[in-house]
Parts: sequence; C-alpha cells; structure tokens
Amino acid sequence: MQILKKTNLKALEKAKKLGSEKIIALVSKKGLTGRAGGGFPTGKKWQMVKETPANEKYVICNADEGEPGTFKDRFILENNPETLIEGIMIACFAVNAKKAYIYLRSEYTSLKPKLQKTINEVLKKAKSKLNMEIFSGAGSYVVGEETAIIASIEGKRGQPNLRPPYPTTQGLFNKPTVINNVETLTNIPQLVLFDDWKDLKLHSLSGCVNKPGVYELPIGIKLKDIIKLAEPKNKVKAIYFGCFGGCLPYEQFKEMEMKQENICKQNCALGSSTMIIVDETKSIVDIATNIAKFYEFESCGRCTPCREGTMRILHFLEEISLGKATKEDFETLQELAWVIKETSFCGLGQSSMNHLLSALQYFKKEFEAKLK
Amino acid sequence: MNLKEVYPDCDKLLPRLIAEQKKNGFISEQAMKKISDETKIPISRIYAATTFYANLFVRKQGNYLIEICNSPSCYLNNSLDVIKELEKLLKIKSGETTKDNKFSLHIGSCIGCCDKAPAMMINKKVYGNLTKEKIKEIIQKCKS
Ligand code: SF4
Ligand code: FES
Repeated sequence: MQILKKTNLKALEKAKKLGSEKIIALVSKKGLTGRAGGGFPTGKKWQMVKETPANEKYVICNADEGEPGTFKDRFILENNPETLIEGIMIACFAVNAKKAYIYLRSEYTSLKPKLQKTINEVLKKAKSKLNMEIFSGAGSYVVGEETAIIASIEGKRGQPNLRPPYPTTQGLFNKPTVINNVETLTNIPQLVLFDDWKDLKLHSLSGCVNKPGVYELPIGIKLKDIIKLAEPKNKVKAIYFGCFGGCLPYEQFKEMEMKQENICKQNCALGSSTMIIVDETKSIVDIATNIAKFYEFESCGRCTPCREGTMRILHFLEEISLGKATKEDFETLQELAWVIKETSFCGLGQSSMNHLLSALQYFKKEFEAKLK
Repeated sequence: MNLKEVYPDCDKLLPRLIAEQKKNGFISEQAMKKISDETKIPISRIYAATTFYANLFVRKQGNYLIEICNSPSCYLNNSLDVIKELEKLLKIKSGETTKDNKFSLHIGSCIGCCDKAPAMMINKKVYGNLTKEKIKEIIQKCKS
C-alpha cells in the first residue's frame, strides 16, 4: 500500500530545500484533495493560509474520524504515524505555523501513548522546535466539522459556526489555520518524495461482508470491483456511504465508476469512501431507523429543524417499523425530511436526511409495506 | 474575537475536564468551581462545555465505563444481541450505572472499529467481534 510507505524525514528535507512557494505549488500540481469528504484542493487551502498576514498561524490535523463505517484514519494512526507527523511538519513549514494540533477523537484514546511517543521521536530526529500537541476530543460527531473543531479546542461547546469567515483566514484563536485530515496529511510527504506517487484513496468497507477492512484503490474504479474485495456474505442489496452519504441500490449501480460527480448526480455523497454493505437479508426500514437514531443522538441542539426534526423522524420510523404508522404519517415524514435538509444550520442537519431520502427514492416499497 | 485574549487558558479547559473525568469518574460542581478559579473561565462556560460531550459526565460513572457501538456496521453484525446480553448481565439500561458503582453502560455512535463489528470499549480499551459468549467472559473478568 502506498499510504504505508515511510519517508523518514527525507520529504521534509526536500520541502525545506524547495521552499514554501514551491512546495505548495507541488502539492497543487499533483492534485491532492482533502480526504475528509469535502475534497477541497489541499494546495489551495495552504496558499490561502500562507497569504493571510498574521503573527501566528496554526495547523490542525483532523483525527476526529467519526463518520460511521469509517476507520481508515485509525488504520494510518496505527500503521504509519511517522509519515503523518512528517506531513504535519511540512504543512507547518509551508504556511509558517509554529504550532500544530492533532485533534484525536476520544474513541481513539488507546492510540494516544504510541502517537505521543512517535511525535517525540520524529521531532527529536528532525531537530525540530515545532510545538505539536495531541488534543483529545470528548465524544461528539459534529466536532469533526472544521469550525466545530476550532470551537472545541478553544474550550467552547463543539458546535459549528457560520462560514465565512473561513478558518483559512480566521481560524483557531482567530488566526489563519490549516485543517487537514489524517489521510490528506499522510499523502503529503509521499507525494513530495516519490515521483511515482498516485492519487489513491483509502476505502473503508464494512457491513454484511466476510472481509471488512481498509482498501487502497484508484479514484473512479467500478463499484462492483470495490465491493467484491470485501466478499459479501449474501446477495448485496444496497451500499451506504456512511450515514451522511445516502444509499444506492447495488444491482442498479454496480457498474458505476466511483467518482464524486457520478455519485452526486444520484443525490448521494462519496465522502471519505466509506461503504457499508447491506445484503438482502436486511430491512432498509430497520437501517433507516438505526441511522435516524444516530442523528437524533448526535444533533448538537443548536438549531430547531435538526434538534426537533431528527427526533420526530426517529419517532416516525419507529412507528413504521412497528407497523403503527398511517399513510398520512408517511407523508409527513417525507415532508419533514425535506424541511430538515433545507433549513438546518450546519452540514450535520443538512445531510442527516440523505440516507432517508435516498432510501425512499429506491426502496419506498419496503416502507409502504409496513404502513397500516 | 480571539478568545485567548479574554481567557488565556481557554485551550486548557477541555484537557482539564477530560483529566477530571478520568480521575473521578465525573465532573462535580466543586471540580468545575476549582477549574473556574484557576483558569478564570466562568463556570457557566465550563458547564456548557462539559454537558456538550458524550464522554463527560456530571453524574458519577462506574469503574468500568462500557461504550458499545450501535451504528450501522455494528448493527448489521447483530450488535443488538450483544447489547441485550450486556443489559441482562448488568441489569441496567443504556445511560445507567449498576448499584455497586462498578459498571456504567452507554450505547453510542461508531467507535471506528467497524472492521471488528460489533465492537465496544471498556475504559477506552477496544473489544471487537463480540458475541454473547465473549460478552459473558469479559464481564466475568471485570467482576472477579
Ligand atoms: S444542524 Fe444539527 S448539528 Fe448542525 S447546528 Fe443545527 S442542531 Fe447542531
Ligand atoms: S459502526 Fe460500530 S464501530 Fe463503526
């Protein structure tokens, strides 16, 4: 796997020789985009931070991997933390930041001692004065959003804020801040050092399969070629792109090339290439109820449509599961789903209905069969 | 506004709260007052932050804090059976603590171990590929 290749501080050396202008240009040229789901060009983000005048700048490595079904960042933290740390160092060099945070989700606390040890070793070996701190989270899905991560480090409730201003100009402590995902930053030293670096992406495959795991694949490979790697236990019914990405029926879309734009056309989102495989033995209504529970639990409560709406949606779905819902209830559910999507304050609420709306689009019969 | 200019220790708050949670199993009002005195951050802000996070508690938690995942990948791998077994063995429901203060149970979101589904953590240590039998063994070990 390319992502496991070590660069042993040689990429940092090269970056320092090239200087920050050229290193940012190189990152842009190689076409690296954010691996957290947004897909923003990494070089462009760095350039914006570099150009913003400020006496202090920060780099935050987002290790708050919370999307259900996603575990690729954990895989990197366990298997190649050295290269990740070197990536953070290069990012700091490129934008002239003196302090970096690794925001580690609390669920990954068990990885902290080894990560801290590796940081100490790498910084020592590089004779670097960079201040790199592991900042532990305390259990919140929405904190993965970049403005929320900043709020969390600043000791506030980890709720998202309106953008603009973007973190690139007014980020942590109101200073320009780079926020990059673990996978993005691990790619940095590798693309700097290796001429044959390819734009590969980690896929987290799980669900009704015999071989769940992290698979490194080129962007644009066919859905069926991805899914077969995980060895489904039964005939595959649907693929969920995490919770926020929605679902697609497998048979109909198995020939589709897995590119963000293709998936967007179907009103889904590829995100960080999370795929939860659901087979014919499972009920879509049950899964919708399960995911609705997740959103109801994780809604931060700041805005009404998401706070109240996710609760009502869960209630309706439970009623449907139990065979207690009427046709009118079902119609209200659909209307409410759209209202939540259109009127929620942040990405969590806005995307919280993707799974339901796509399930309703492709598997409506399963819902209808359960109505009174 | 740069919050650091108002509260220079603002970025120390969450680490302090996590340390307090770890040490005492919850964050008491006294603990909040103490942190407030030392950091000069108003207690209202401290309470607001504390109650935001799923892993910080204002009520005392058991010695063994069990967090079991019920997100889709685990759910599809029968996490509900495992959860039922836990509830049966401990005689508590999610969010509760046993009378002897030994165990607290929380059903929660994905813990990033979906390749070992169903999965849970006890005091942040991961246990994966759970079955009813495994659960029995693990709880037995904690009890003895
Ligand atoms: S949409 Fe949900 S998560 Fe986002 S601010 Fe509103 S309540 Fe909070
Ligand atoms: S869904 Fe259970 S650990 Fe990810």
